[in-house]
Amino acid sequence: MPKWFMPACIVCAVMFAATPIVIANAPFESTMGLVFKIFFYHMPSAWMFLLSGVLCGIASVRYLASGDARHDRTAWAAAELAVVFGLLTLVTGPLWARKAWGTWWVWDVRVTSSLVSWMVAVAYLILRRYGGPGSDKLAAGLALFGAANVPFIYISVNYWRTIHPATSVVPTLPVDMGLPLWFCVVAFLLLFILLLKLRVRLEEQRSRLDTIYLSANH
Amino acid sequence: MKNITRAVVIVLLAVACVHVPVAIAAAQPPKQAETYVPIDQLPPQDQLPAAPLLVGAYVFVPVVLFLYVLSVARRMTAVQREMERLEADIKRSGRT
Repeated sequence: MPKWFMPACIVCAVMFAATPIVIANAPFESTMGLVFKIFFYHMPSAWMFLLSGVLCGIASVRYLASGDARHDRTAWAAAELAVVFGLLTLVTGPLWARKAWGTWWVWDVRVTSSLVSWMVAVAYLILRRYGGPGSDKLAAGLALFGAANVPFIYISVNYWRTIHPATSVVPTLPVDMGLPLWFCVVAFLLLFILLLKLRVRLEEQRSRLDTIYLSANH
Repeated sequence: MKNITRAVVIVLLAVACVHVPVAIAAAQPPKQAETYVPIDQLPPQDQLPAAPLLVGAYVFVPVVLFLYVLSVARRMTAVQREMERLEADIKRSGRT
């Protein structure tokens, strides 16, 4: 692992340990009160979910265009992170919605398209696991679905009638609410980078293992 | 490159096919209120305290992340062990 990895892990752990304090000191939102504080974990998770989808799509396109296995490994790692962060988003969202909207789930365009994108990421992993030879290229094609869906997820709240907060909410947050949010975003981004690096490393080791198997058989 | 362009177009069309019915469903107006209900007369299931939901969210996130890190670490250890075993086998077979 690179030299920066362990110090970055320590920084990330300290930041995550500090998030409850930072969030507890943030002011309450006027209509939602206490439950609004789920937002500080929900939104960064959602951003990392979308980032994973985009990264998986870009790496897949580069893999299809160049055939370079490094891009395939990045795409696979990003797809797994899309499933993890998507799960966090799709669970923390309903926990917030139950109190804020009075229901666990609404089939509105933002929530539904997020679910579709998460299912695409799950399908990617299933295809890689059970697809057999050639599944790398099929999965790369599938990853385009997830990446193409990301802009729809992001802008959907501005163009369709929905009760999900619009994208204009974050820029209008006051400083004492915005700072804790950006602190959490940086913590989640750092975690995302570390997990991606770790997961890519696993694929590199698997690739090395395959090479050793091949050299042993020849 | 032509094939990639065609694939991108197909993907965009498929995504649009998923989103159009969703958008139509989302465009339906919410059910109209027929009577005024004061907040203290809400049924108990609607008078939810926020704390359990908040605690649930803040427990779920670290637990999932911890399990994921654990899963990656276990897979890395398994690959490492397999590599060591294979390297030992190669050395052994080289000697005989």
